[in-house]
Amino acid sequence: MNLDLGPEALEYGATARRALEAAGGDELLRTAEREPERRDDVIGSLLAALGAWELTPREHPEELEAAAALCRSAGSVALPYPVAERLSRSSDLDADGLIVVSDANPAAPIAGSALRWTALDAEGRRSAVTACVPTGPARTSSFVGRLELEPLDDRGAGDLALAVVLPCWTLLGMLDRALELVRAYVLDRQQFGQPIAAFQGVQFQLTDAEVERAGLEELAKYALWSIEVGRPEAADDALALRLAAIEAADIVFRVAHQLHGAIGFCDETTLSWLSRYSGPLRRLPFGPAETGDLLMRRLGRSGLVGIFGGGS
Amino acid sequence: MGEEVAALRRELRGLIADHVPADFLGAFTDDPADLATAQAFCRTLAERGLLCMAWPTEWGGRDASLWEQTALREEMWAHHEPRGAQYMGVNWVGPTILRHGTPAQQQLHLPTISSGAAIWCQGFSEPDSGSDLASLRMAAVRDGDGWRVTGQKIWTSYATMAQWCFLLARTSTGERKQQGLTIFLVPMSREGIEVRPIANMLGPHHLNEVFFDDVWVTPDEVLGRLDEGWSVVQEVLAFERVGIARYARCERLLAWAPGALGDEWDSVPAELRSRWARMLVHARRARLLAYRVVDLQGQGRVRPGDAAAYRIAVTRLDQESASVLMEIAGRLRGRDENARRFVRAVEDHWRYAQASTVASGSIEMQRILLSRSLLAAP
Repeated sequence: MNLDLGPEALEYGATARRALEAAGGDELLRTAEREPERRDDVIGSLLAALGAWELTPREHPEELEAAAALCRSAGSVALPYPVAERLSRSSDLDADGLIVVSDANPAAPIAGSALRWTALDAEGRRSAVTACVPTGPARTSSFVGRLELEPLDDRGAGDLALAVVLPCWTLLGMLDRALELVRAYVLDRQQFGQPIAAFQGVQFQLTDAEVERAGLEELAKYALWSIEVGRPEAADDALALRLAAIEAADIVFRVAHQLHGAIGFCDETTLSWLSRYSGPLRRLPFGPAETGDLLMRRLGRSGLVGIFGGGS
Repeated sequence: MGEEVAALRRELRGLIADHVPADFLGAFTDDPADLATAQAFCRTLAERGLLCMAWPTEWGGRDASLWEQTALREEMWAHHEPRGAQYMGVNWVGPTILRHGTPAQQQLHLPTISSGAAIWCQGFSEPDSGSDLASLRMAAVRDGDGWRVTGQKIWTSYATMAQWCFLLARTSTGERKQQGLTIFLVPMSREGIEVRPIANMLGPHHLNEVFFDDVWVTPDEVLGRLDEGWSVVQEVLAFERVGIARYARCERLLAWAPGALGDEWDSVPAELRSRWARMLVHARRARLLAYRVVDLQGQGRVRPGDAAAYRIAVTRLDQESASVLMEIAGRLRGRDENARRFVRAVEDHWRYAQASTVASGSIEMQRILLSRSLLAAP
């Protein structure tokens, strides 16, 4: 059972990462925070040049994989742009992107976006969106603002899986990068006359983080495959992925911060930015408790489909 | 995994339903009938070429694919390993003899393993050599054309019932502790071998001490090259890279829980049902990590770190799911047959799960392997 992305998708993701690096890499986020009004133009155009908005992940499996690979690359530089959300757009509505929201407090990191957005809740209800101005600067709001919703229809259940899965690929890209950063740091940082990577207390924390990241990667590929082959339980698989993604992010960022020490909170380190901007993806639309609750209610008595569960 | 694997899974479940009692909880209980069930089931599998399905057909196997082997591992562990102690002979003693044994050793041992007749034990750990296996001290001293072996092994599963021991002993002292180790294939009936069971929470037969007192071994019992047993041991461990499919039992028990509780399931606190759902996700995650290792194995690209990541994830799953399942089982009021079996299976799972981060390479060793691979130069 090989769930790996195809070579074209991997190549597309790698090309995207190179293009993002060439355009400034981590600097894109710092610039966006200083000049939030320009992020639509600068980053939207950059992604347009990569052909991102021509991808139709809901129609073509190979473009679905390319979309996932692009989100992962975007995550690696915490790209301050709703890439996954734009790629998730419904195919039957005239809108530029789709955001999954919680009924309790609809919100999304689309402040200042001039695009047309649709919101979708876990029950499949779709709404037109008006994005409110965030209550604080980007540094504290991470571009997240409250959304005002105007109900459209309740035909969005089939849209849910992709709109949950693609942001998890973005988060996966962030965790890849956090692990890269922490690995480089512990090999470089010397204490007691040796790199701190030599200490087992450090090594074991690193393995905890990697187990989470590697497990998330497999679940992300599985949930994508579930959409690709049109499994009826694709939305369950997506929520299962989301639950694991939030847990993994908590552990990976906790370890990354712990092993970086105080420097990891400073603006001069990429980790600090990555960690801050992972917040909205981990919190929205549902945090761990709400995601778990939602998944449990959807599964009922049947469980996840597997070798024993879900009536298999 | 494809239709072939699905068909195999159906065949195995059919055989289990027909030949293994529904309340079977493994071969190693206080009831000798359980051991007899396992031995008979091994013969049933052997008659169909399923016991050693990964082996070549000439030795009683059927050249099964890695995915068929995976399905077999899953079905067996999920159903409380009805092969009993045989998995050891099947999974790695046999394959190691196939690779390193002399024609005479192959003729002697492979047919008895593939027919389910022989039980093996593994003479590796010693009181002062656990994770640091290469530091072992059991001495095999030259005596004429053979050796005299003296020393103690410990934690030796199935030693009370095994006919053969896959023994690692020191035949010389080299510059490095890994040098000078030799593997012997020794009959457990040999004079000077004494087995003492260790009472433990896992049940009978799992843990034993084995004392060797001046035990005579011969050159034709040496497996591979003299003093070079360590490289064979490394290979042995490689046969077991994916290890036990612990996630399969977790998944089966978790899937069973709502049915076992019946109407009571709806009164289980939402928080506990959420933890149940979370464990289902973790079981899937562990299974996918195992599949990744199998896939890499098929491509000849598996690294120790990949298998270690899986084993860390699956042993944690074992313990966390055991805790959730125990809490669910504790809520059972109605005690129909299905509920009673569920509670017993969960209790058994809980006890075994406590040992999962220790057995077959502790979780700390897995973390060391994984961190080495993470920190190595790309």
